[in-house]
Amino acid sequence: MRVEYINPFVEAAYNIIKEVLQTDVERKDLYLKKTTQPVMGVAALVGLAGDVEGRVLIDMSQETAMKIASTMNGEELTSMDELVKATITELANMITAQAVTKLFDLGFKFDLTPPSIITGENMSVSNADVEALIVPLEMPQGLVEINVAIRERM
Amino acid sequence: MKHASLKEAKELKDQTRIDFKMVTFTLAGKDYGIDIMKVKEISKASKFTFVPNAAPFVRGVYNLRGDIISVIDMRIFFNLPAEETESNTENMIILRLDSHIIAVIVDSIDKVVGISSENIQPPHPLFGDINIKYISGVVENDGRLYVILDVERILGDEDQVESRASETVPQALSGPASSQIMESTVAGTTSAVREDVDIGFIEETLITFLSFYSSPVNHEWIRNRFNSWKKQRGEDVQLASEQDAEAYLAPFASPFSGTYWNSDYAMKVASFLPSDHVGNYYVWNPGCKSGYESYSLACLIKKKMPDVHLRIIAHDNDLIRISTAPGLVVNQTSPGDLYDDYLVEGNRGKQFKKEIKDSILFEYHDITHDNTLPKLDLVVMRDTVSYIAPEKQQLIFNTLEEVLKPGGVLLLGTHEQPVNPGAWEKIENSGVVAYKKK
Repeated sequence: MRVEYINPFVEAAYNIIKEVLQTDVERKDLYLKKTTQPVMGVAALVGLAGDVEGRVLIDMSQETAMKIASTMNGEELTSMDELVKATITELANMITAQAVTKLFDLGFKFDLTPPSIITGENMSVSNADVEALIVPLEMPQGLVEINVAIRERM
Repeated sequence: MKHASLKEAKELKDQTRIDFKMVTFTLAGKDYGIDIMKVKEISKASKFTFVPNAAPFVRGVYNLRGDIISVIDMRIFFNLPAEETESNTENMIILRLDSHIIAVIVDSIDKVVGISSENIQPPHPLFGDINIKYISGVVENDGRLYVILDVERILGDEDQVESRASETVPQALSGPASSQIMESTVAGTTSAVREDVDIGFIEETLITFLSFYSSPVNHEWIRNRFNSWKKQRGEDVQLASEQDAEAYLAPFASPFSGTYWNSDYAMKVASFLPSDHVGNYYVWNPGCKSGYESYSLACLIKKKMPDVHLRIIAHDNDLIRISTAPGLVVNQTSPGDLYDDYLVEGNRGKQFKKEIKDSILFEYHDITHDNTLPKLDLVVMRDTVSYIAPEKQQLIFNTLEEVLKPGGVLLLGTHEQPVNPGAWEKIENSGVVAYKKK
């Protein structure tokens, strides 16, 4: 993944989560993962196109998703209902949009698709030929992984 | 013996399943084990028939109820002190290997211990006494630590063990033939064994400290380096710390690692490149670190072929280093006249012109994952494959064969060579070597 792309995604994820949850976020070491990766339980997916092709996946466990949605809505949510899903979708939208804005300022043009959300047990995600950059963020609500797999159009 | 193993079986029954039994014995006061499936029987004997001119660790041959078998003294084989026994009888473990039967002499034979194979830990590269290649694992049982020896590797038929091990085990050990007369002198053989063991140990240590892998890519250098290291260090050849390992590897680095190439070296590399190329010119630079190499390449290619559309794909899996690459600046002193045409004054010192910067794509990427690349004209991969596990090196060379255009050029580190020599034609210009794809 192009070096210039890394920071906008890391910063956007960190800033947005910190802001909406009003809590301390700990950024862990970034790393690269090969094609197939397990997904923790709730995955919000945003597609990217333009100078690059690929997608951003915001991945967390169901428990974390409910806690984050509870904090963001200011009420206790205990099941994976429509409100929780809509909240996580919105979070993914905010993070990706801010990253794309930062990238535009650096001279890269990206378009993004509306986010979709996937939930379930024992899921994994594969991208042919693209490795994914994983940005793990730890917060009191749990672990959120920003999983970015994009490549240049050659 | 049976009683002991039953008792232990009972103790462990709750937590583990016993699926591995070993005969334990001592050498120089330490505990060792051998897989019981390899042990035919245990015996005591005193009179061995001496075989003239055999290696010192061959005690002779022994008549085991009509079968003549060779007897190896483990203590001499591993350079351990022999325990003085009052009687002349020695403890022997008779091993049934895949191809033959052989006896080994040990200090004392202890008992049979049953363990769960899950509890066997891989050997740590820092083990002393016995080279790691001969150890299949370490296991703790009842407060004692047993080193499990891989007897098939130590004494087995060389065709059945992997090539590296068989290089190390002297020929004389391969079977009953071991007692036959050897070609080289006894002293010569032991020092060769000793050296192989030392090099093997150093190779393991380099993996631990610096993840540098000895492989056909750099074998020649490792061997030559050992001799100069021995001269420098005398008897104390082992690498005890990361500093030692770094000192050992210091001469491995190719010229101008971590800095801009000087004009002379750059021009030698440029001489391998075609001057009549038109259109796109694709370069892959895996292991580019902070990018010095990539910028040097961009300048020398622009100089040689000003009109090509240059694209350098530079990869590294060290995030910190590669993050600095796109904004790399040049100190006040120009690194050489080659670069003068391609630098502009910036606010933080000299910078490369936009045409140079735009020609390089720096990516955070692990080349042991899938590599998606266009058809390449040039690959510069200096001192990179040596730091990748050998089984993955092969994959990278396969990728190269696939993506490099015929006539494309590969530049490896000064002390490296391709693992698939058949696919390349070696080209050389005053000391700098590159490989042209056939």
